[in-house]
Amino acid sequence: MAPNPRKRKVVTRDAPQKADSEDELGLLEGILSHSEADSNDSDDDESSDGSSVIEGLSDEDEEDEEDEDDEYSAEDLDSDEVPTDGEEEIRKQIRNLSTTDRPLKNKSSKLTHENGFGIGEDRESESAQEDSELRPNYTVITDANGNERYIYQEIDPVYESDESDAPETTNTIGNIPLHYYDAYPHIGYDINGKKIMRPAKGEALDALLDSIDIPKGWTGLTDPETGKPLELSEEELDVLRKITRNEIPADGYDPYPDMVHYFTGHEEIMPLSAAPEPKRRFVPSKHEAKRVMKIVKAIREGRIKPYKPPAEEEEEDDDFRYDIWADEVPRPEYSMHIAAPKLPPPGYDASYHPPAEYLPDKHEKSTWLEADEEEREKEYLPTDHDALRKVPGYERFVKERFERSLDLYLAPRVRRNRLNIDPESLLPKLPSPDELRPFPTTCAVIFRGQEGRVRSVSVDPHGIFMASGGDDGYARIWEITTGRQLWNVKLSDEDAVDTVKWRPGKDASILAAAAGETVFLIVPFTILSPDIEQISRDLLDAGWGYAASKPSTTTNIAITKEPPAKWSRPGVRLESKGVLVQATVRSTIKVINWHRKGDYFATVSPRGQSSAVAIHTLSKHLTQLPFRRLKGLAQSAQFHPSKSIFFVATRNSIRSYDLAKQELVKILQPGAKWISSIDVHAGGDNIIVGTYDKRLLWHDLDLSTKPYRTLRYHQEAIRAVRYHPGGLPLFADASDDGSIQIFHGKVVGDLMENATIVPLKVLKGHKVKSRLGVMDVDWHPREPWCVSAGADGTSRLWN
Amino acid sequence: MRIKKKGTSGAAKNYITRTRAVKKLQISLPDFRRLCIFKGIYPREPRNKKKVSKGSTAATTFYYTKDIQYLLHEPLLNKFREHKTVAKKIGRALGRGEVGDAARLEKTHIPKIKLDHIIKERYPTFVDALRDLDDALSMIFLFANLPSTQHVPSKTIALCQRLAHEFEHYLIVSHSLRKSFLSIKGIYYQATIQGQDILWLVPYRFVQRTGGDIDFRIMGTFVEFYTTLLGFVNFRLYTSAGLVYPPKFNAKSDEMGGELGAFQLEGKGISKNDEPATNGEASTAVTSAIAQAEADKVADMIDPEEKKEDGALVQVDEEGNTDTIDKFEATAQDGDILPQPQASNAEIASLFASFTFYLSRETPRAPLEFILKAFGCKKVGWDGILGDGAFTTDESDPTITHQIIDRPSLPTESLPQVPNIPTPVDDGAAVPKAQWPRSTMPGRTYVQPQWVWDCINQGKLLRPDLYAPGAELPPHLSPWVKAKKGEYDPNLPLAEQELPGEAEAFEDEEEDAEFFEEEEAANEKDHNMDALAARDTSVEAGEGMDIAGSEDEIDEEDEEEEENDMAAAEEWDGIESDGESDLSDDEVAHRQHQRELEAEALGSVIEPTVATTKSKNAAIRKKADKKRREEEEERERQKMMLTNKKRKLIKRIEHGTKKRDVESEALRKKRRKIEKVKAAANAV
Repeated sequence: MAPNPRKRKVVTRDAPQKADSEDELGLLEGILSHSEADSNDSDDDESSDGSSVIEGLSDEDEEDEEDEDDEYSAEDLDSDEVPTDGEEEIRKQIRNLSTTDRPLKNKSSKLTHENGFGIGEDRESESAQEDSELRPNYTVITDANGNERYIYQEIDPVYESDESDAPETTNTIGNIPLHYYDAYPHIGYDINGKKIMRPAKGEALDALLDSIDIPKGWTGLTDPETGKPLELSEEELDVLRKITRNEIPADGYDPYPDMVHYFTGHEEIMPLSAAPEPKRRFVPSKHEAKRVMKIVKAIREGRIKPYKPPAEEEEEDDDFRYDIWADEVPRPEYSMHIAAPKLPPPGYDASYHPPAEYLPDKHEKSTWLEADEEEREKEYLPTDHDALRKVPGYERFVKERFERSLDLYLAPRVRRNRLNIDPESLLPKLPSPDELRPFPTTCAVIFRGQEGRVRSVSVDPHGIFMASGGDDGYARIWEITTGRQLWNVKLSDEDAVDTVKWRPGKDASILAAAAGETVFLIVPFTILSPDIEQISRDLLDAGWGYAASKPSTTTNIAITKEPPAKWSRPGVRLESKGVLVQATVRSTIKVINWHRKGDYFATVSPRGQSSAVAIHTLSKHLTQLPFRRLKGLAQSAQFHPSKSIFFVATRNSIRSYDLAKQELVKILQPGAKWISSIDVHAGGDNIIVGTYDKRLLWHDLDLSTKPYRTLRYHQEAIRAVRYHPGGLPLFADASDDGSIQIFHGKVVGDLMENATIVPLKVLKGHKVKSRLGVMDVDWHPREPWCVSAGADGTSRLWN
Repeated sequence: MRIKKKGTSGAAKNYITRTRAVKKLQISLPDFRRLCIFKGIYPREPRNKKKVSKGSTAATTFYYTKDIQYLLHEPLLNKFREHKTVAKKIGRALGRGEVGDAARLEKTHIPKIKLDHIIKERYPTFVDALRDLDDALSMIFLFANLPSTQHVPSKTIALCQRLAHEFEHYLIVSHSLRKSFLSIKGIYYQATIQGQDILWLVPYRFVQRTGGDIDFRIMGTFVEFYTTLLGFVNFRLYTSAGLVYPPKFNAKSDEMGGELGAFQLEGKGISKNDEPATNGEASTAVTSAIAQAEADKVADMIDPEEKKEDGALVQVDEEGNTDTIDKFEATAQDGDILPQPQASNAEIASLFASFTFYLSRETPRAPLEFILKAFGCKKVGWDGILGDGAFTTDESDPTITHQIIDRPSLPTESLPQVPNIPTPVDDGAAVPKAQWPRSTMPGRTYVQPQWVWDCINQGKLLRPDLYAPGAELPPHLSPWVKAKKGEYDPNLPLAEQELPGEAEAFEDEEEDAEFFEEEEAANEKDHNMDALAARDTSVEAGEGMDIAGSEDEIDEEDEEEEENDMAAAEEWDGIESDGESDLSDDEVAHRQHQRELEAEALGSVIEPTVATTKSKNAAIRKKADKKRREEEEERERQKMMLTNKKRKLIKRIEHGTKKRDVESEALRKKRRKIEKVKAAANAV
């Protein structure tokens, strides 16, 4: 019955109800009656389709209950008494059920009670509850036989009363007035959140029951023989009833009749026949003997063979006695088929008498013999036999054949494309080495005479002098072509001279050197011509007194704050050597870089957090800290060669700032762990970056923030990188592995073409001392010469 | 959209593991193996193993699902199942002790497996079958030479022998054997049938080592398939050649070791009378041989244009009635030269046609008989010991033109005296029963067996004196090696192949190593060559004494330079500047000058340094080295500019060539050494 109502539900939503009730008229009686009830209800409230659904749903509920009822009554039939009138009985019971369900409110109150919400707001329910408590929990009725029958009310399952875990539908709506649900088909929700449908109303049930017209003798069963409903007469029912009650079904029926024995197990004394056993039972059969003799005769005569040898097998010659390819039709191989590869033909060395050069020498022989059988490149050892009769059998012959057959059926076959590319076609066309000349190739001059490492070198803008600074605290100036030391000064007793840098511009000759926190500006007048000396001195002296003449705005700050640098005279001893100005910043300076005009220079002291990068103005003896706070440790800083852009390299990124607009322009991500140095190409669009993680990176600012090329040719950290300043397409890097590598790096003005980088030369000569090799490198301003500072205490000129 | 379930399409569906395949077919693993061998089904390697095996990466064998499905309706499957049931019954009978029953069951009920349909299925055309004949022939020839054991029934061996001999007979008749090679493994043969090159290997006649992990069941399965295949192939070949298949088999002759001679070929329709089996085939085979030659010729000509031309030519030359291809000579320079087959096959096929051979006792009769006959020789005689079927067993037969001998030549005195047997006087004149090595027959050529092989491989008769008994044989070379560019070719003189500067480098090395070698050589006296080498080097050392001083210096310099080079070449050596090498040259000159000055100061006269071979060598070598180094540098530089992907690709490509170069260089070096030793020996 279950699927039907569901089906009906669906139908009622779409189609008009009458049609559907008619539709299913013939199907089932039950449904017929339901649909009648439906139509009745729909007469009452035709308001919405929903209502019909509600009705349908409630009907379904009803049916379920009916089902249960039926079962119940059947049990009754089994256990209790035989009902006198089946029809009456059924009706009564159904009615009983329906009446218990009838008052909606009662039920709901019961539900709330079950939930343990004892205090109902509804007064009616309260009184009903009280009533139920007062009254005995059963009613006495007369059953079909006229006997008394106790019908117990449903047990009120308070929490303690029931031990069973059987799920029960409990309304979970809580303590709210039930009339809120009046407009809905449901009265609440069970514990699973499903709707509890409103039970059927009494009138509907009655109407239903009345409509069922139970015929006489209706049993609800079908006669298996006729297929028609089985109808039993009164007498038959009576018999049935009696049987079920273990009574004697009819009068005069003897349940225990006497037993009649048809056969006895006793052997009779007298046999049935007295005839004696015939003779033939004791005499051999002549007929049989005749037949046997016949066979014997036949065997003797050879007509019958006692054992026929099986027919000899025909030779298998017959197998090949026809042409299997008589009607051959070529069939295209299916695409996935891979034919077994043929074994390669033997080479010269497989010969029994090969040319002597194919024979293994002693070493090869021993390695072959020692090697594992699987690891041998060839499975045989070439051997020479000077005559055919001396050739022994090949002991691996069967094994090789066996391995081949294994390969044929066990080895997966894969089609491999053979590389048929000319390797030359892959190689790029490079400029010939002659085009790349000139570049430094050999060590021309070694500058000796320094103690400890040489930390920094710089070639002066004229290309005559080379300045160096090292661990011994001296700044020295050498003649570049001869390697003669021209001038030196001890700048510091405890600190090393970390960096030296000539001021650009040929008009004056000023060397900036940093030892510890101090920058010294030096005019080595002893080696300069007087006019240049004068210009240089003027340049340095111009700034004196500037701070004093400066308006008080800065001084106010200066009072509150320590100035970023102190500009002063270094004292008589140094001044006599030409060290004219010193500026002391807060922490050790590692890098000095001049602006192209020579008025500004930037210093980097990686340890001074906010004062790491300082820009000094020479003409004003002024120091500015452009960055209040710098992300990461500053490693290097450099001015753009033409624009007012300032590059700052931190440990793993390079930022470029527009100094005029005072804003960040770009952040380059070289992807390096620790940048050691950077250099900006004269065009300003390319930067090379040297890193402590052995990489040299070329950044094209127009392309991306990622490196254009990453070069890894060093075995140790790269300390310094430098472009050639004088227009030659060269750059060099210095590494801790003691080598300088020279590259050709040509930047074309055309935007379409990327820079070509060609490795040119490895310059080796510096010795590695305590894991430091070449500390710095610098180019000659015009010539393809470069100067390097080694940790071994020498500087070298390469040309 | 519905989410697709994993493993229901694509690679996961296309492949099936072996276990699953066996389960699907419901047979045992050995049966599956047999089925795969018969049907030629082999495992596949999926491109992505993980996708196929649903994430697991365990090593498994995969088959194509389609292949397995195709096995599902194989009639053999049923046979296997029947076999299984009968085997069960036999087992039961044996368990009950009913041996007779078991025997009967085995005799009558075990299903016979026929592979005809599989042959047809795997090789839809005859050419397909020929193409796949390499392994079949190798296997069958091996089994024909195996002793019968428990795993290898004598019947199989007999069948293999029969099929092998039949096939050999066809090759003899059709003259389709092309090449052969004596290797240390066995004898390789190559035949060309209908344009298909078939190469197979026949072991030398020794007892084969069959121990170890050799599974004869698998080999047996293969042999079963291959015998069926070769049977049908033989049938087809014989019938197409106008012969009756199977040929008449003379069991008596076979028992007496007749081998090839035990078979008697018959032309179709004509029943041959009792002509000797050994030469009987020749007359019948004339037509077929011509047909074969024709077919081969057609197969050889790839160029259709050429063919057309040829056709025209044949028409022109009809009066001349030549069957061969004419040689085309280019009349003008600007025309393309089309390839032509070199020598006509008919010519080679009758290489030995006019000769009578006699095989001495110690020679391998079977291969020699086969090869000689396949190349046109009709009369092959041998010592009676070697078996039945000889043209003659009389060594002194005057018709014999060539005798093949594989014995060292001994001085006549050392030979034992032959008891003087009185020769039967039939013709009145006593024929001297002189035999090699005691005396040679006039007009007879004595050669070693290798001569036959070298002749057929080169397609012409070679000088027999190089192969005379007891002579040191020229090396036997594989006819299949085609030297590629840059590979070592033993046929060419060394000077043609070596790289510039290589020889000089070698000489220098030799001299450097000579002292060590001397010692070594002294220790090892058993080897002739080394002893010679020692003699040679000692002579040289004596000669070079007077210039040792100057040499040493140069040597040192060289070493220094080399060291520098080594250092530079370590990782990336940039461009060597001209300056550096110039400098070193300068330095040499400088030092020379210095020395002269010093000598002057001392008042002694320095001999002008003779341009010794060594210094000359050094110069040449240096030059070559420099050039090579420069090239290499250039290449390295170019490579440095590549992307990683391309660099790896190049590396892979170059790996092969580099390996080949190294190998050929090693060979060249060895040869140089040997040649030097030989030259020294000659000089002595």
